[in-house]
Amino acid sequence: MIRGVIVMNDRGKPRLVKFYEFQPAEKQQELIRSIYRVLCSRAENVSNFVKVDSLFGQDVRLVYKTFATLYFVFIFDSSENELAMLDLMQVFVEALDKVFSNVCELDVVFNFNKVHTILDEFILGGQVLETNSSEVVKTVEEISKMERAANSIKVVPSIPGWQGR
Amino acid sequence: MSSQGGFGQSKEFLDLIKSIGEARSKAEEDRIVLREIDTLKARLSSPNITKFKLKEYLMRLIYVEMLGHDASFGYIHAVKMTHDESLLLKRTGYLAVTLFLNEDHDLIILIVNTIQKDLRSDNYLVVCAALNAVCRLINEETIPAVLPQVVELLGHQKEAVRKKAVMALHRFYQRAPGSVSHLISNFRKRLCDNDPGVMAATLCPLFDLITIDVNSFKDLVVSFVNILKQVAERRLPKSYDYHQMPAPFIQIKLLKILSLLGNGDKKSSEQMYTILGDIMRKCDSASNIGNAVLYECICCVCSIHPNPKLLESAADTISKFLKGDSHNLKYLGIDALGLLIRISPEIAEQHQLAVIDCLEDPDDTLKRKTFDLLYKMTKSSNVEVIVDRMIDYMISINDHHYKTEIASRCVELAEQFAPSNQWFIQTMNKVFEHAGDLVNTKVAHNLMRLIAEGFGEDDNTADSQLRSSAVESYLRIIGEPKLPSTFLQVICWVLGEYGTADGKYSASYITGKLCDAAEAHSTDDTVKAYAVTALMKIYSFEIAAGRKVDMLPECQSLVEELLASHSTDLQQRAYELQAIICLDAHAVENIMPMDANCEDIEIDKNLSFLDAYVQESLEKGAQPYIPEDERSGLSNISNFRSQDHESSIHALRFEAYELPKFPVPPKAPSILSSSVELVPVPEPSYVADVHQPATSALTVSNSGSSELKLRLDGVQKKWGRPAFSSTTPSTSSGDTFESNNGTTRHESISSTKSKVHDVSYDSRKLQPEISTEKQKLAASLFGGASKSDRKQSYTGQKVSKTNSHGADKSNLAKVASSSDNAAVIPTSQPPPDLLDLGEPSVTSSAPSVDPFKQLEGLLDPTQDTTKLSSGGVGVPNAPDIMSLYADMSLSGQSTTVANPPPNAIKTHLAKQPSKGPNVQEFLEKDALVRQVGVTPSGQNPNLFKDLLG
Repeated sequence: MIRGVIVMNDRGKPRLVKFYEFQPAEKQQELIRSIYRVLCSRAENVSNFVKVDSLFGQDVRLVYKTFATLYFVFIFDSSENELAMLDLMQVFVEALDKVFSNVCELDVVFNFNKVHTILDEFILGGQVLETNSSEVVKTVEEISKMERAANSIKVVPSIPGWQGR
Repeated sequence: MSSQGGFGQSKEFLDLIKSIGEARSKAEEDRIVLREIDTLKARLSSPNITKFKLKEYLMRLIYVEMLGHDASFGYIHAVKMTHDESLLLKRTGYLAVTLFLNEDHDLIILIVNTIQKDLRSDNYLVVCAALNAVCRLINEETIPAVLPQVVELLGHQKEAVRKKAVMALHRFYQRAPGSVSHLISNFRKRLCDNDPGVMAATLCPLFDLITIDVNSFKDLVVSFVNILKQVAERRLPKSYDYHQMPAPFIQIKLLKILSLLGNGDKKSSEQMYTILGDIMRKCDSASNIGNAVLYECICCVCSIHPNPKLLESAADTISKFLKGDSHNLKYLGIDALGLLIRISPEIAEQHQLAVIDCLEDPDDTLKRKTFDLLYKMTKSSNVEVIVDRMIDYMISINDHHYKTEIASRCVELAEQFAPSNQWFIQTMNKVFEHAGDLVNTKVAHNLMRLIAEGFGEDDNTADSQLRSSAVESYLRIIGEPKLPSTFLQVICWVLGEYGTADGKYSASYITGKLCDAAEAHSTDDTVKAYAVTALMKIYSFEIAAGRKVDMLPECQSLVEELLASHSTDLQQRAYELQAIICLDAHAVENIMPMDANCEDIEIDKNLSFLDAYVQESLEKGAQPYIPEDERSGLSNISNFRSQDHESSIHALRFEAYELPKFPVPPKAPSILSSSVELVPVPEPSYVADVHQPATSALTVSNSGSSELKLRLDGVQKKWGRPAFSSTTPSTSSGDTFESNNGTTRHESISSTKSKVHDVSYDSRKLQPEISTEKQKLAASLFGGASKSDRKQSYTGQKVSKTNSHGADKSNLAKVASSSDNAAVIPTSQPPPDLLDLGEPSVTSSAPSVDPFKQLEGLLDPTQDTTKLSSGGVGVPNAPDIMSLYADMSLSGQSTTVANPPPNAIKTHLAKQPSKGPNVQEFLEKDALVRQVGVTPSGQNPNLFKDLLG
């Protein structure tokens, strides 16, 4: 089972935090800080895996990857395969890239609701639901369309940027 | 997409993120966020906000909470928003509640109704949103409310809904297995779903179910093998392919399930051999995902009933992994090797060089994994190398958790495979020195016992050699600062027992060292206690040997200090030391026999040595002893007898002493009396008279005896043995109160007196007591292994052991010791093809300033601040904000740039041409930026170099 997905920038600022088992806010912050410390201390050209049993308990591992200024982090237990998780992360970022057309950190910051939507299509309740980025993008676009349609009925002309993107 | 400005968010939100990004300290960030919280509180409580404003505030709340601040004041608005008809708002509401609330939150009950309604919606996207929320928010109590609908959705026409319904059901199973136990057949049914995605989703719950109960799913082996075969033969739609691999994620899940089903089951395993072989042959080992499948195959092959052919190809794959450049593959290779050596241990030798390389690797994860592997393959022939490595690594790391783990592993291996006593003691010294506070105290006791008993052989010279070397090493170590307490205890004990045994060191030298240690650790009472007892032993050995004892001045001052110590234990020890020094040689020899710590102390449980005393007392008219079980009936009678005249006295005492300690007993009588008052009995006074004293006497007797018990417990914990503690309280409950107090007190004193002798042995007793408990364990730890290994160490020819296995391992040992040379190679290797981390972004930050500067040309103050803040220099925040408000549209957008990455800046800037003053310029920049910064050909860092490449 996947325990959590964290996206943070290279200065430790969380950009997306999702735990599939509820963690209270303070605990979340503590985990983010500890993970950031671990990731900072990792040299270049080393493996993408870290053992985090001291933070999450027996046999819990973490896969991370940096994309420009962002760390993508998946935390999961022994029922998942490390390399597969790494690829899932890749697929996730691919989907982000397709949805935001050349995604950058600011896209993730300002549209984290949309990033959540995308993530929810990949992972549901800690289990991998979908592994094809095109499928996810299709669904997400459908959702956006529906949202926009619903929005246009409501007519809120004063706020032009509301449709989300 | 880029035509839409401002990332679809309001300027306020942009500003918030921008100012947080620019915050130079956590305190400043907190101030900004707190201000934001105040703003949001005010806004949310205003009566007429539009729904879309509310949506934005919710987003800001989510953001605030992500930064670690409490946003609970807005939860209710999130709940309300889930009720909204609009999909956008509904989804936002659901997102907020899934992030804010845990499944036991009070507000959940307000959402259940909405979820029920949404699960019935015609719009499948609404249903999906509701299922998302179900997975996160429904707890055991609310499962029944949505369960029927979720089950119904398993047959929904849209596969996306079916998939999510399966997941929701799985989630229910995780939360409360009982609630869905009757629905497990649904999972089996969904396995045959027309849509491969739904089938794949079903594998998740099935994996969990099979993990718990393998046997009830054995019938599915054929189905799983068939599915895997179809997947591997590319029968699934093309859309499931990933990097030219047919549905690799499904393959991995299936392989995981098969490895569970085939574990220890020859018949099932045989059905899998063909397909496993096919997959391993066909798998593309060039891609990441191909290797993931291969690794999963190895795991499966190692788990199911072994097949030589498959094991062979697994071994081949592992060696490919280990030889690769990628650290990820090496990691998996080491992991897989750990699995494989359980089945065929001989495989390790082929890879010893690779393993050693991984051990020397700078990658911490890889190193740890390799230590896991070494731990699994430790034998008596290679234990020295492995444990030495482990200790070196243990010293080098700071991670508390892992240090503890590796220290306990070292201890475990050393105890299991120690080749010689000398080595064992040295190893333990090292472990204690560097992680002494992290290891179990049992380890210290084991070490002391080992030194005392030797290795269980009747070779006294070897034992005394062992002790001398221990003493010598401890004398060297004892002066070092910051030794862990446990280790100092061991040192003190050993020096006390054996410090002067071989005559090499004088008593004054040893005692001086001990005093120094006690002084250096003056805050640690346990160490001081060990030190004083050690002093006492040394002095008594001296006295017994007929030598005159001159107490060192520092010893004297130490003893004097301890005589006044607030710790009764230390006082006791100091007094004993004083007393023993004044005794003659013969008495001392009896009290402190030389090297007697291993002799079992016989405990005369019948207390026969007291017979004469008892006889004498009886003759003088004392009451005979009544055993406890016979006494219980009597105690009531004696209470009754004594209550009349004693209740008043005890009631007084009771008020004075017991009230603070026992708040409950005093209530009992008062409740009774009040209830009595309420009952309309003709003669209430009589009832009260009869009952009240009786109850009070009873409570007194209870509390009184328990009070006595308490006191005695306190005394006995310090000075006595458990054997005595049981007798004293029982006597106290047997007698009447007056005599009770007298006798127990007397007894407690006498028991402490009789204990004085025992206490002096306290630290010594520790050993025999434990040894009787764990002799068997020790024999298994040291006896068998040490016998064979000791011969080796005495002959000094460990390598020449005929056992081919041992020879291999010692080869490894040789390699390990010479591996420093070999290790240079991997570290100096060119970096593999992983994404570069920080470097490119640093180099590119300089050019990225230029277009930015051009844009900012008009805004001097802003430019300054952004420049400075990106350079990390402190600048007051005020002018920045001022400028922001001065120029809303431009500075608001462009200063955002100060903090995010260069390419992000450009994209961001490029994305809002309509807002800038010069559209043309923006469009040109956009094109330029996309060429230079965002497309993979440029030198700037970009997100997806490896994606597109």
